[in-house]
Amino acid sequence: MANNDLTRVKGTSIVKPIIYGNTAKYFGQKRHEDGHTHKWCVYVRPYVNEDIGTWVKKVHFKLHDSYESPTRVVQKPPFEVSETGWGEFELVIKIFFQDTSERPVTLYHVLKLYSNGQDSELSEKPVLSEFYEEIIFQDPSTFMKFILNDTLSKNPPIDEKNLHYERIKKTTVEKMIKSRKRVQEHTVMYKERLKKLRETINKFKDEICALQSQCSSSTLR
Amino acid sequence: MTEDIRDIMDIERGPTPQVSKEDILGTHKKKISLPSGNRQTRRPEGMAREVFALLYNDKKDVPPVIETETGPTYKLQKARLGMRRVRPWVWAPFTNPARTDNVSFSHWRRVADEGKEYPFAKFNKKIEIPKYTDIEYKEHLVSETWTQEETDRLFDMCEWFDLRFIIIQARWNLGEYENTVKRSIEDLKDRYYSVCNTLTKIRGGSVNESKMYDAEHETRRKQQLERLYSRTPKQIEEEQMLIQEMRKIEARKRDRDRKTQDLQKLISAVDKQNDSRKSLKIDKKTTHHRKRVTVPVRPTRVDPNNFEATTIKFPDIKNSGVSTRSQRMKIPANVSQKKVKNVEQALESLKIKLNPIPTEDICQNYNDLRNEIVLLNELKAACSSSDFELQTLKHQYETLNPDGILKIDPHLMEEMASLSVDEEENEEVPEIKIKIEVNDQEMEDDTDLNLLPKNVLDII
Repeated sequence: MANNDLTRVKGTSIVKPIIYGNTAKYFGQKRHEDGHTHKWCVYVRPYVNEDIGTWVKKVHFKLHDSYESPTRVVQKPPFEVSETGWGEFELVIKIFFQDTSERPVTLYHVLKLYSNGQDSELSEKPVLSEFYEEIIFQDPSTFMKFILNDTLSKNPPIDEKNLHYERIKKTTVEKMIKSRKRVQEHTVMYKERLKKLRETINKFKDEICALQSQCSSSTLR
Repeated sequence: MTEDIRDIMDIERGPTPQVSKEDILGTHKKKISLPSGNRQTRRPEGMAREVFALLYNDKKDVPPVIETETGPTYKLQKARLGMRRVRPWVWAPFTNPARTDNVSFSHWRRVADEGKEYPFAKFNKKIEIPKYTDIEYKEHLVSETWTQEETDRLFDMCEWFDLRFIIIQARWNLGEYENTVKRSIEDLKDRYYSVCNTLTKIRGGSVNESKMYDAEHETRRKQQLERLYSRTPKQIEEEQMLIQEMRKIEARKRDRDRKTQDLQKLISAVDKQNDSRKSLKIDKKTTHHRKRVTVPVRPTRVDPNNFEATTIKFPDIKNSGVSTRSQRMKIPANVSQKKVKNVEQALESLKIKLNPIPTEDICQNYNDLRNEIVLLNELKAACSSSDFELQTLKHQYETLNPDGILKIDPHLMEEMASLSVDEEENEEVPEIKIKIEVNDQEMEDDTDLNLLPKNVLDII
């Protein structure tokens, strides 16, 4: 990393997809000492199979204030925090980049311990809640651009853990396009209807006008 | 005081200052002698400058506590009169040139004004009433409605009463003339001015000298005023009511015109969207399999010119720096809650999740979709209000003309198809072998859970 040039490269935009979220598992019973019921782990992972540490400097996980030292700083991958607890809360995840002049990105994630099922509240099935996100570097510094492109140039395959997202992406886009088509068809339909309505209304208005003037003239006579 | 007595006794008085107008009105500007710089109190030795500055000093402009008026007013100073010798007046006879009998009266006047004409004589204005000879009358002025005696009498009275037609009219049928033809003011005026105009014409006067008088117009004008004046309170009330009604009707008409314009805009917005859709399709094909690392190109939006006001402007982050894709799908806070709710409802009926997975393609399509929904919603609203309007008009038409039939396109009576999508036939999901609960929004029904690799949960 000889290139430490921090001037921004205008017109460049680099996208880095990531995955963030948490897993959780029920102990099977309430722990006696502190009342904790779940073991959970919150994490930030790369989407493709790369060393996220090349471009992410550190990640802050801000836990609930009731935890001891609620802001956990993870300096190197894997960027994750494992804890135990009994309640769900909103986590603030702050991602800092190797280029320290770049502002950190903040993500919000609601820690999930209980699945949505009715009876499964305390089942021993693991719970997963994770999200796909894309971090966009608009006009990165020469230094940052170099780092970001370094891993990309190797064209790493998508992490096999994340392969299912590709399918979601595909179906979602298809669905979107289909919906758009449908909405557009409806729009045209309604436009035609509106046009016809206006025409009919104007016709009625003219007729009524004619009738009214007829009436008034006949009463005058 | 002594000066006054000297004046009265007509004794030569010593030189006294002449009183000027300024003296009397007190408008003289008092010369205020400003304390000169030398008179300023010096700071005693040993006193701190700050302490000295606190002391009251005449020279400083301390704002007055009470508002003061410095301008000259009549109350401030009494007019000082009688400082000058009185001008002499005399009792003198005079004749008024307005009188023809040359009678002489006397009055007080200044000695200085002696020999001048009686000052009020100039107010004696005499109106020139044209005269005509019998021959002139016979040749030009004969009228079917007026005899010469009548005309003569009219002109006599005009002269007598200085064209005060109201007085003339009041006396027209008095005394010996009780049985003459009754004449209105307009008749009298009309006859007088027509005679005058004929006379100026035959005597070679210019057209500018002739007087315009339209008796008919005057009669109508007075009638109108009379009617306006003699309205009953009830009539006035009714008139007010009618005026208000008229205003309402006009306002409604303006409203309608504006609405028609808006609708026209909507229709043209749809037309433009259709144009852009064609280009969009091509655009999609090219962008679909793009590599992830490219500068995002924004496809054409839904008619940015005409439809700006109603579309949602999604954040378009172009500033340098890091941002997340999902930020670009957020609806800005200035969009009304109602609109957001309507869009969300439409999305729900289309079975589209509210926060889809944020890739560039999806983000773009999602934003465009939502704006297209906004346009559709606008159109729907316009349609339903037009529907209502048509119904009202139909009723109106039927009451006006119970026998008449106006054809309405049967399509307009039909219900429009719903936007909602039927639940797509979900493929039978085989029994989930791996014991995981996926509760991620995006995965709820888009993912076959059995496709999730086991190592997703490696972390635990």
